[in-house]
Amino acid sequence: MDNKKSNQEIDRRDFFRKAAAMSVTAIAGTSLVSSNARADDPAIMHHVPWGQNWGDPVTKNRYGVPSKYEHNVLRRNTKLLASGNFRASIAVTPIQESMGIITPNGLFFSRSHGGVAHVDPEEYRLMIHGLVEKPIVLTLEQLKRYPSVTRTHFIECPANGGQEWRGPQFNSIQFAKGFMSSAEWTGVYLKTILEDLGLKPEAQWMLAEGSDNSEMGRTIPIDKVLDDAMIVWGQNGEALRPEQGYPVRILLPGWEGNLMVKWLKRLEFAAEPWYCKEETSKYTALKPTGKAIQHFYANEVNSTVTSPSPEIDWSDLKDGDLVEIEGLAWSGMGTITHVDLSFDGGRNYEKAKLKGLVLPKSWTRWSYMHTYKKGDTLLLTSRAIDDAGYIQPTIDQEVGVMGVESVYHRNAVETWEVNAKGEVNHVQIRS
Amino acid sequence: MFKLDRKLLTKASAAAALAIITVGCMGGSSSTSAGVTEIDGKTTIDGGTTYPVMNDKTGPYYVNPQVAADAPKIFNGRIPTANELAAWDKDVMPDGTGLPEGSGSVEDGEEIYEAQCVSCHGDFGSGGGGYPSLSKGNAVDMQKTLTNNRWKDPEADGPTRVFGSYWPQASTLWWYIRDGMPHPKSKTLNDDETYALTAYILNINEFEIDGVEVDDEYVLTREKFLKIKMPNVDGFEPNIDGPDALKRVRAYYANPTNFGALNLNKGAERCMTNCQKKSVTTRRIKNGGIKDFLPPMSDVRDLPKEVAALDVKAVYADNCAMCHGNGVGPGFGNTADWSAYTAKGMNKVYANGIHGTDAGMPPKGGSTLSDADFKSVVDYLINGK
Repeated sequence: MDNKKSNQEIDRRDFFRKAAAMSVTAIAGTSLVSSNARADDPAIMHHVPWGQNWGDPVTKNRYGVPSKYEHNVLRRNTKLLASGNFRASIAVTPIQESMGIITPNGLFFSRSHGGVAHVDPEEYRLMIHGLVEKPIVLTLEQLKRYPSVTRTHFIECPANGGQEWRGPQFNSIQFAKGFMSSAEWTGVYLKTILEDLGLKPEAQWMLAEGSDNSEMGRTIPIDKVLDDAMIVWGQNGEALRPEQGYPVRILLPGWEGNLMVKWLKRLEFAAEPWYCKEETSKYTALKPTGKAIQHFYANEVNSTVTSPSPEIDWSDLKDGDLVEIEGLAWSGMGTITHVDLSFDGGRNYEKAKLKGLVLPKSWTRWSYMHTYKKGDTLLLTSRAIDDAGYIQPTIDQEVGVMGVESVYHRNAVETWEVNAKGEVNHVQIRS
Repeated sequence: MFKLDRKLLTKASAAAALAIITVGCMGGSSSTSAGVTEIDGKTTIDGGTTYPVMNDKTGPYYVNPQVAADAPKIFNGRIPTANELAAWDKDVMPDGTGLPEGSGSVEDGEEIYEAQCVSCHGDFGSGGGGYPSLSKGNAVDMQKTLTNNRWKDPEADGPTRVFGSYWPQASTLWWYIRDGMPHPKSKTLNDDETYALTAYILNINEFEIDGVEVDDEYVLTREKFLKIKMPNVDGFEPNIDGPDALKRVRAYYANPTNFGALNLNKGAERCMTNCQKKSVTTRRIKNGGIKDFLPPMSDVRDLPKEVAALDVKAVYADNCAMCHGNGVGPGFGNTADWSAYTAKGMNKVYANGIHGTDAGMPPKGGSTLSDADFKSVVDYLINGK
């Protein structure tokens, strides 16, 4: 105990000594800068309007909105990925502006097959039937009376990056990686409800069906239903947004976003699978053999550099600046254990550091401190590994098995080229 | 009756605990397969890790153990009535479960198609406007294109994935037409109309049923429908049919090479230096890539610009043209088309537009305009200027 205490004291003394030394440098540095400065900064020297005038009363904005200055932080879409009138379509998340491992509800990517439905919670019903001993109908209030759990998981469209099998197309992280978002979800484990309803032994599959115009449905295997599948009504501490299936969607941690049926209306159990439209015509991955993978559940281990990005680059950095390279890593098959960062497009890797919470089937932040050298060209490639042992393949490795026609589940490493001016471009490294 | 087997779960937990201890001994070695990939002694269905509850925690999350104990006693809802079940349980399965009796001809199907489908899916199902093609010719021939892969020659023909060439089951088509189509007003086709449209789509995909060509005179019934053989029925993996389906799916995802994934074998270190040949090339985006982003990309933090005045042309193009510009509904600037409606007074025309009609006009054309702005668009549509 005494030893420990004295160690701490030494540590503290050390810190003060370092701090003193640093403050001398800092003062010298400051005087150097101020003597060279052409003019004082008006942002400091003048009164600002918001510093003198009354701000808004607390009675304004009963539901808060972002600062008006943040008006460019938006979901975006492109006509390439839109059916006619943006009803069977996607609007993607500005990953370049994302912080931490949570996406604000208003920026969560939005994908629907018949438009965003607006369900009246009073008329909401969930029916669970088929191969159960006891079928059930629940109102929203009855559903929410089940004991809840809260979990942080990303949802990723399996077509995230799927436009770039044959080469890079989007000079944008928002479009190259923004078909995903992350939230803290609140709901009930499906297995908790089923404990009472009693599943019949021949039940192998569950149909989840939405109440929207497209009646979006998918077939889910019992294994997932009895593991970590949830029926959720809460998103980041409030009700689900309409774009996320208000009032209720299904959440299958780590799996294809399309499986997580929104505006959920009905769950039916059966011995044989259903062959819904979105699990045959789409969301199947065609291989060079001519066979397509169906029921392709988990989004595999993946990562990206979020800073710098093509959108927010390093053109303002000066030679010698210390800068944090930051990114996201995620795996629908487990928990991120490591992230590596390459400066030469994947020939050599350095170990990056994980930071913040590291949760299963969740976005995970990683970081690497870098001294920027003006004029250098870098090929920034990140590579993640999860606790199931999966590691991101190179593009050549993945294409070697999957070909270039499979659309979905592309998780090969991705590369940003930082050019001599500090601009960032999306490239691919190929043999 | 099958309840979640607590004994099995306990066994899995014990195995999981062992697995985690093993990992601990290896000191988090960078390339060790660390996850628990079995539930009840079975490989996980997706090849990934699972986090069974141990010591009241699943992974990093605490759970309330009272919930598992109480769950079998919770019944918060009520048992649905037979009519309620029948009203909602309308899915159609490949073996014909849920497929009602009925019939429809190719001829009737074509008529419905021309009236309600062509504006999105194009002439003879050719596609357009971002909506899917329904046919690219003979289904059997098109199925042979599924081995086409454009990885060496980007200009080569790719695979053709339409209903006839790609879909494994015909039941999907019937079910989706009845419940999801037509897109602006779904669930408005009756069973016979659904048979008719299905017959038409089989016709344009040049199908044969039981050796009989689905020609222009063909009448489809439930019995004939169930004899449809899809050319690509065996084109999918893993096989999900039959009582051993889940076992097969587990085996499929236990092998990463099946699905283009890479797994470090136990104990293997990942490559950190000289991981790829020096001869690799950097491929850049060609011709500027895709950048028609809406709204345009920007990270500027300034005051937003004043909201632009209503652009009737743009609203028309986004919301109205797909029908009114395609011969579905009265045409753009076509006073002859409109006279029957305007004769009843403009207030009636506006009201129909704002509230929608049974003939297929969605409320406000699916736009979110104010009533006043929407009326301006209606004026533009009728007057053609």
